[in-house]
Amino acid sequence: MAMTILDLPAVIDLSAIGIEHIRLAITGYSAVFAALFLLAMLFILLPKILSWNVRRRNPSRENDPQDALRGGMIPGEVSAAIAMAISLYFAELHDQETAILTVKRVGKNYSPWNSKIYNVINFKGHQR
Amino acid sequence: MDGLVQFLGQTGMANATPGNLLMIVVGLVFIYLAIRHEYQPILLVPIGFGILMGNAPFLQHNILALGIYDEGSVMNYLHMGVLKGIFPPLIFLGIGAMTDFSPLMSNPKLILLGAAAQLGIFLTYIGALSLGFTNPESSAIGIIGGADGPTAIFLASRLAPHLIGPIALAACTYMAMVPLIQPPIMRLLTTKAERTIKMKPPRSVTRLEKVIFPVAGILLCGFMAPGAMPLLGMLFLGNLLRESMVTKRLADTAKSTIIDIVTIILGVTIGASTQAGTFLTAASVKIFVLGATAFMISTAGGVLFAKFMNLFLSEGNKINPLIGAAGVAAVPESAKVAQSEGLRADPSNHLLVHAMAPNVAGVIGSAVAAGIMMSFLL
Repeated sequence: MAMTILDLPAVIDLSAIGIEHIRLAITGYSAVFAALFLLAMLFILLPKILSWNVRRRNPSRENDPQDALRGGMIPGEVSAAIAMAISLYFAELHDQETAILTVKRVGKNYSPWNSKIYNVINFKGHQR
Repeated sequence: MDGLVQFLGQTGMANATPGNLLMIVVGLVFIYLAIRHEYQPILLVPIGFGILMGNAPFLQHNILALGIYDEGSVMNYLHMGVLKGIFPPLIFLGIGAMTDFSPLMSNPKLILLGAAAQLGIFLTYIGALSLGFTNPESSAIGIIGGADGPTAIFLASRLAPHLIGPIALAACTYMAMVPLIQPPIMRLLTTKAERTIKMKPPRSVTRLEKVIFPVAGILLCGFMAPGAMPLLGMLFLGNLLRESMVTKRLADTAKSTIIDIVTIILGVTIGASTQAGTFLTAASVKIFVLGATAFMISTAGGVLFAKFMNLFLSEGNKINPLIGAAGVAAVPESAKVAQSEGLRADPSNHLLVHAMAPNVAGVIGSAVAAGIMMSFLL
């Protein structure tokens, strides 16, 4: 007889859960947290370390706004201004048009089947 | 006449079972959902089609060797990539090459949401034990809560290869169902005021930080969970190929050709492995129920942890708890769900960039969880 979802409560056996299983679950979850916490700490500290290094090399220009650009760090407001400028530029830009509006000239290869002169001289009325 | 009888004996008319027909309907539903509603079409179209291929009612284990479980059949060879855990690391390589980790680096505290959302893995592991599964089987089932198909397939291939079909199918199905499963939980666990919290725009990230990330990531995670090395190693390698900017060709291949080829073969073989005779069992029903539970618990874990973090964060630095749900590793679907729920609460509140941080952290988190499970059980 096939099992259904309704049968599930009847097959639950809590005695199958041992202390070692609980331990594994808690340790595993903690280890996931620990690994990602270390990663988070690294990336909280890393920008500070990098900017400290830049400041140490150029102490006289500590407040120079160009420093951020030299380190490859573009401040958010500068990014926003650049994005807005590019957006406006493309919004204002008019499409280049070719002046050919609808009709595209198509070259036809010669063939007796499409030859106008051939058809005209073979027309019986013309021969007469 | 004997020849005709023999031929008819080989056809689907003679060999079809109700189970085959049921699975064919399931396959058709998958294809319908993928094409009509665009639910994870990249996964569901190959899987749905694979289900049709696997359940076309042929005579199994005969001299033709057609089925995925028939020794020496073509499908059997393709399935080796799943059983031996070859495909998931290749998919991770492509994911690494596709993913921009800068949202995560610009606001590192959001990484913790990716850890919190792995709660479902470990609670479902306990739940699976209570339903009569063994320790390795329970671990493989629990990982469905990470909402990461390749990780689930990888761990199942190592710990419970006989359950790989239902586990992979459950993981991929629930990944596709993210827009249906997550929103009710997110709304249930948050207030209107919390859903409208606006977060500060992320800072820009330097190229040096982007290059350091995969190197530091593999060293940290490799030391913590060596079992996750095949997955995380490939993930971070793919990301280094992308961010180093000197291996553009390799990064392009990893994020297009390789991942596409592997996704097709993986999807079809996973689908074809759901032959009614081996798939329609009580264990599969339990796995689907446990998988859904795992997914819901993980979503709740992420949302609740974001609310918990808000207790310690100053006004202006608070986290919108909706992005906690993106801590499950369904990239980028769960981030998109956070975005759409955020817009639903406040049409000017765009959460996508913020949600991508826990989302990609969830990929790392679920792989670390898989590695830890393997370390304990192998």
